[in-house]
Amino acid sequence: MINPILEKDLKTKMRGWRTPVLLSIYLLFLGGVLFLFFLANNQIFVYYTDTAFNPRVAVSAYNVIAMFQFVLLMLIVPAITATAISGERERQTLDLMLCSDISTWSIIIGKLIVSIAHIMLLVVASLPVMGTVFLFGGITFGEIILMFLFYVITALMVASLGIFLSTLFRKNVTAIIATYICLGILALGPVIAFFIWGVFFQRSYNVEITYSLLTAFLFPSPGYGFASFFAGTQSNLFGTIFNEIQHLAEKETNFLRYLKPWMINGLFNIIFSGILISLSAWKLQPVKKRKRKA
Amino acid sequence: MLKITNLVKRYGKFTAVDNLCMEIDEGHIFGFVGANGAGKTTTMKIVAGLLQPTSGEVLVGGIDILSEPRTVKRKIGYMPDFFGVYDDLKVDEYMDFYAGIYGIPYRERRAITDQLLELVDLSHKRDFYVDSLSRGMKQRLCLARSLIHNPSLLILDEPASGLDPRARVEMKCILKELRNMKKTILISSHILSELSEMCTSIGIISQGKMVACGTVDEIMDKLSHSSRIKIKVRDRMEDAIRLLQEQPSIGKIDIADSAIEASFKGDDQVLAEILKRLVTQGIPVVSFTETGESLESVFMHLTEGSEEYDD
Repeated sequence: MINPILEKDLKTKMRGWRTPVLLSIYLLFLGGVLFLFFLANNQIFVYYTDTAFNPRVAVSAYNVIAMFQFVLLMLIVPAITATAISGERERQTLDLMLCSDISTWSIIIGKLIVSIAHIMLLVVASLPVMGTVFLFGGITFGEIILMFLFYVITALMVASLGIFLSTLFRKNVTAIIATYICLGILALGPVIAFFIWGVFFQRSYNVEITYSLLTAFLFPSPGYGFASFFAGTQSNLFGTIFNEIQHLAEKETNFLRYLKPWMINGLFNIIFSGILISLSAWKLQPVKKRKRKA
Repeated sequence: MLKITNLVKRYGKFTAVDNLCMEIDEGHIFGFVGANGAGKTTTMKIVAGLLQPTSGEVLVGGIDILSEPRTVKRKIGYMPDFFGVYDDLKVDEYMDFYAGIYGIPYRERRAITDQLLELVDLSHKRDFYVDSLSRGMKQRLCLARSLIHNPSLLILDEPASGLDPRARVEMKCILKELRNMKKTILISSHILSELSEMCTSIGIISQGKMVACGTVDEIMDKLSHSSRIKIKVRDRMEDAIRLLQEQPSIGKIDIADSAIEASFKGDDQVLAEILKRLVTQGIPVVSFTETGESLESVFMHLTEGSEEYDD
């Protein structure tokens, strides 16, 4: 039997006008970004001019789209998931669910799958937009699939965070704001910590920056995991940073050299999600079970 | 069916439920009466497994709600005083969703939904969006939802609140139907007359404490030490009131509908003596009647001085 919460939410979410509108806006936005990028690089009207098409532009376009999509996911997932439980509470339907014999695990998992399915719909629908770069080469299908997998794992972590905070806070607005703040801390906190460390310690003790050191600081940041997918040139700041990370990884002598940033961050995301889901299910229990008397 | 022993619920220093004890036998309907914030909803939420008690024991069918909450929840159907609905679901989808929540197989859902919508007279609305239903219909739908898993104990928190007189009558008819189905029901209401009509027993709660519990007649017998007398006089009402005030057996005196109403403690002999005095003083008595104290007045008397708060 399908999880009833999943069944109901999928039915109602797909029935309304919100999902098609959100999907359309999302795709128009991605398409628009891609169009503007090609336009800015003089690649749109290439047949009408004598300029030869530059395949490196396609790779850069892929980077731009991938990054845009990643940032958009980070912005959309909290808005969808952080109302999962607090929304039920505000609507006064949570008690009707909790007074039944359904486990809080089923409620949380149902809500989580709905949120991820919603996000994956956006990602899968955007594949044709991403696929335009195939026309020009430079990116393999395998790379896109790996990135898709990374999106799923990151969405799982962000969704778990949203649901956990939605369980913790009674109001939708508080839960959404708290999720954005926590996500901001998770994404930028390690980077800021690394810079502070660099300013105060690295200069004083002249410690060489290695891949292990970098990973020790940055492993929770989704941006660090995304570094693996920035197939890039050194033409901009991100390209330089991501290439530098790749170089450090190649210089690493221990097993870490085989672990790319997306794997390490992905593993953290999975473990962190598991913890958040368990905490959410525990927190949602209205009555904590008492051991039976002897 | 339901046994509550020394139930306590505290919120910090505030005690919402204070050593509450009660018992409901199988097939009985127990009316839970109390002012707003007396602790009715808190008690009902604890029994429904939605609130952790500070101490005490709640047994449903002999099973402790804290030891086996999921087993107990299967036996309970709960209808809260305030509840929301999913606006974007149709009536039969709403029922189907809750059937799924209770793990009822797909093949059985249709028949159960048909039966329950029939019971609450909503069969003709099954394809309507829940949002389009009136308040009374939503209340009835919520009652049908609470019955979806065929619970043996029903907890109904103010099922008739906010309903117009017609919807109240309809709700009352459904509750009578449930009584005929031999369901054990714990029901709270402000409308005491409605409860006294259909309940096998009643509990009056004030400031978290059960101040009276038993059948309606028992409560009236136990607590109505005083009765009321109603005297109509043609004139000289002031003299009659003065004379009554001199009698030690007469308590508070009111004037209603040009008649004197007074609370009275004593037997028939004392009553006859009062009448005799009125007549010998030449007061033109038109009628002299002893009336029993109403359940409302017993309730008011018992809950006197209790403050209202939101629980």
